[in-house]
Amino acid sequence: MITAISWKNVWRNKHRSMIVIVAVTLGTVAGVFVAGMMKGWSDQRVDAAIYTEAAHLKVQNPEYLNNEEITYTIPNYNAVKTFIENQSNIEKYTSRTKVVAMAATSRGNTAVTLKGINPDDEKKVSNLYEFIEEDGGSYFDVDYKNPIVISDKTAEQLRIKTFRVTTELIDSLKSLQVPENVLALTQEYEGRRFYSKTKFRKAFESELSKSDARKYGALIAELAKNYQLKAKIVFTFTDMHGDLTYQSYRVCGIYKTSNTAFDAMNAFVLQDDLARVAGFGPADFHEIAALINLDNSTEKVEQLAISTRFPEVNVMTWREMAPDAAMLSDIMDIYYFIIMSIIFLALAFGIVNTMLMSIMERIKELGMLMAIGMNKKKVFRMIMLETVFLTLTGSLVGMGLGALVLKITNVTGLDFSSVGEGFEAFGYAAIVYPNIEWSFFFAIIVLVIVVGILSSISPARKALKLKPIDALRTE
Amino acid sequence: MKVIEIKDLVKIYNESEVKVHAVNGITLDFEQGEFAAIVGPSGSGKTTLLNMIGGLDDPTSGEVLVDGTAMSNLKGSDLTDFRLNNIGFVFQSYNLIPVLTAKENTEFVMRLQGKNSKECDARTEELLKSVGLGERMNARPAKLSGGQQQRVAVARALASKPKFVLADEPTANLDSKSTETLLDIMEKLNREENITFVFSTHDARVVNKARRVITVEDGKVISDERKNGGE
Ligand SMILES: Nc1ncnc2c1ncn2[C@@H]1O[C@H](COP(=O)(O)OP(=O)(O)O)[C@@H](O)[C@H]1O
Ligand SMILES: [Mg+2]
Repeated sequence: MITAISWKNVWRNKHRSMIVIVAVTLGTVAGVFVAGMMKGWSDQRVDAAIYTEAAHLKVQNPEYLNNEEITYTIPNYNAVKTFIENQSNIEKYTSRTKVVAMAATSRGNTAVTLKGINPDDEKKVSNLYEFIEEDGGSYFDVDYKNPIVISDKTAEQLRIKTFRVTTELIDSLKSLQVPENVLALTQEYEGRRFYSKTKFRKAFESELSKSDARKYGALIAELAKNYQLKAKIVFTFTDMHGDLTYQSYRVCGIYKTSNTAFDAMNAFVLQDDLARVAGFGPADFHEIAALINLDNSTEKVEQLAISTRFPEVNVMTWREMAPDAAMLSDIMDIYYFIIMSIIFLALAFGIVNTMLMSIMERIKELGMLMAIGMNKKKVFRMIMLETVFLTLTGSLVGMGLGALVLKITNVTGLDFSSVGEGFEAFGYAAIVYPNIEWSFFFAIIVLVIVVGILSSISPARKALKLKPIDALRTE
Repeated sequence: MKVIEIKDLVKIYNESEVKVHAVNGITLDFEQGEFAAIVGPSGSGKTTLLNMIGGLDDPTSGEVLVDGTAMSNLKGSDLTDFRLNNIGFVFQSYNLIPVLTAKENTEFVMRLQGKNSKECDARTEELLKSVGLGERMNARPAKLSGGQQQRVAVARALASKPKFVLADEPTANLDSKSTETLLDIMEKLNREENITFVFSTHDARVVNKARRVITVEDGKVISDERKNGGE
């Protein structure tokens, strides 16, 4: 009965209640959306950290961590490898050699870590091969000698990535029905070559009207992008004997992940190609990267198993290799809770205010209710339930809408690439696929009920202070 | 059997310099089944007296016993629960909960008492039929006339099976026809249920319906007459 009265009381002043309900709805949608975005982001970062960059576990020579010397290979490699192979929780692993090298082309140079890999093993542990750019060649699927896969970032630094207008580009612009003046300008640019997107766009767009620049600038720049596959890069590094060595590799693939720092550092060549020039023996490897089967909560167990058996090697989990991602995934739950709490704290003011108004309008009725025998506990319960219903209605609608928005954006993704370069520098994707766990909604419901109860305290106290005769006497 | 005993009841209001003796030494008893009117001009202390009988106000001195229980010994929720189980109230206005139907309003006190829905349904239907609103059970107060609303209030006051019903000027806002109907209904229920009714009024037509008329002036009882048959 009291529950029914409370629910009906919510709708007494429909206009006023709707304002609160709409506010709570919007607040909840915003909260769900922001939380979903954070979660999507964090999940993507963790996924990238594990499945692209670091794997679950990495075995290295402890000395290599302090000093990336080519000679610090994994001690006792064959025994370690066999041990890992026999761990029932590890099926996928790969061994890599590493060389810190200076890369140079006729137009640019940069320092990278050359990783000698075996593509078949590597694909099992790292999904980097899925990040080969469109028009960016292939992941070692070539028949020429000494192929190398470098990042878009490295390509830019080595000026292997260019921007230029080709006849094909003009043809495709024609089919896209780009305005005449834009087309004319594009034709003027035919043959000119730029080494960075920014420079190309700056030059090109300065000759366009603002609105045309906004509409076509990015598109044309993207179409003008061109990777010079098969370009030769010369690497200089110190080999196993301490001698300076040169080796040239031909670009076969360009990859781009959402972590610019990772991209800038890593280039991949075939293990045998590297071993030959660097002087690696059959048991000379710098790291073994492994993925744990099924769930990744056993990584610590495996870490302990390996490092106990082989105290001479260093074993790191992805949590140690990508501490930012690990921390993010750990604090995510608290994060949502803080976001939602802030939103509901702000909403609570409105809720309290509305309830106070509602109580003030009903003083006489409350006096009557107390006079005919509704005790304080029941009055309190009535007001508390009323506040909870008021809050819960909006938040349920908000959760529904929020879930819908997440469901849609989870498929389409949210493109932050206009500001995304800043994120990618820290390893965060520019396109976010928001995502949320069901338990989050459960937590919101609990939070809403708590907020409702807390918000009802002040209005309820106001009501409970009333003496029935005074209340009945008011006009 | 005495349902209400009032002993030397005094209520003094101390607002501003002047002390107001709203009730100034009243001693009265009410038996079960009485149908009594408290009559007097405005400001004579009727409301103050009824409020003290109903446990809504504390006397300055003296006491009120309901069925032998001293009201002054009860505090807070105990007092509220005592009112719920022993006293039915009809006020001049604002008797009903606007969001509930006539039936739900009547049922409300029984729900507070924790009665089950079967019992509630039976009693509310019976009472609403008695007050002539069998057809309007699902109407909300806003859809009822003032007289009909007061009839629902009377039904509600009786729903909890109280020892007595207090009604402070229940007809003050009603036209004469509704006043007559309401009084007839109250009288009928008083006989049928053998429940004491104490109501205040300054309306002579209402006074005529009472079987006992207590006249107060300046907080004192100046006459207390009983009629036989109540005509
Ligand atoms: N809360 C109050 N504070 C001060 N004086 C009051 C209060 N309530 C009633 N009075 C005074 O007490 C007297 C009796 O009032 P009341 O019991 O309302 O009379 P009635 O109901 O017969 O009109 C009046 O003089 C009134 O002004
Ligand atoms: Mg009065």
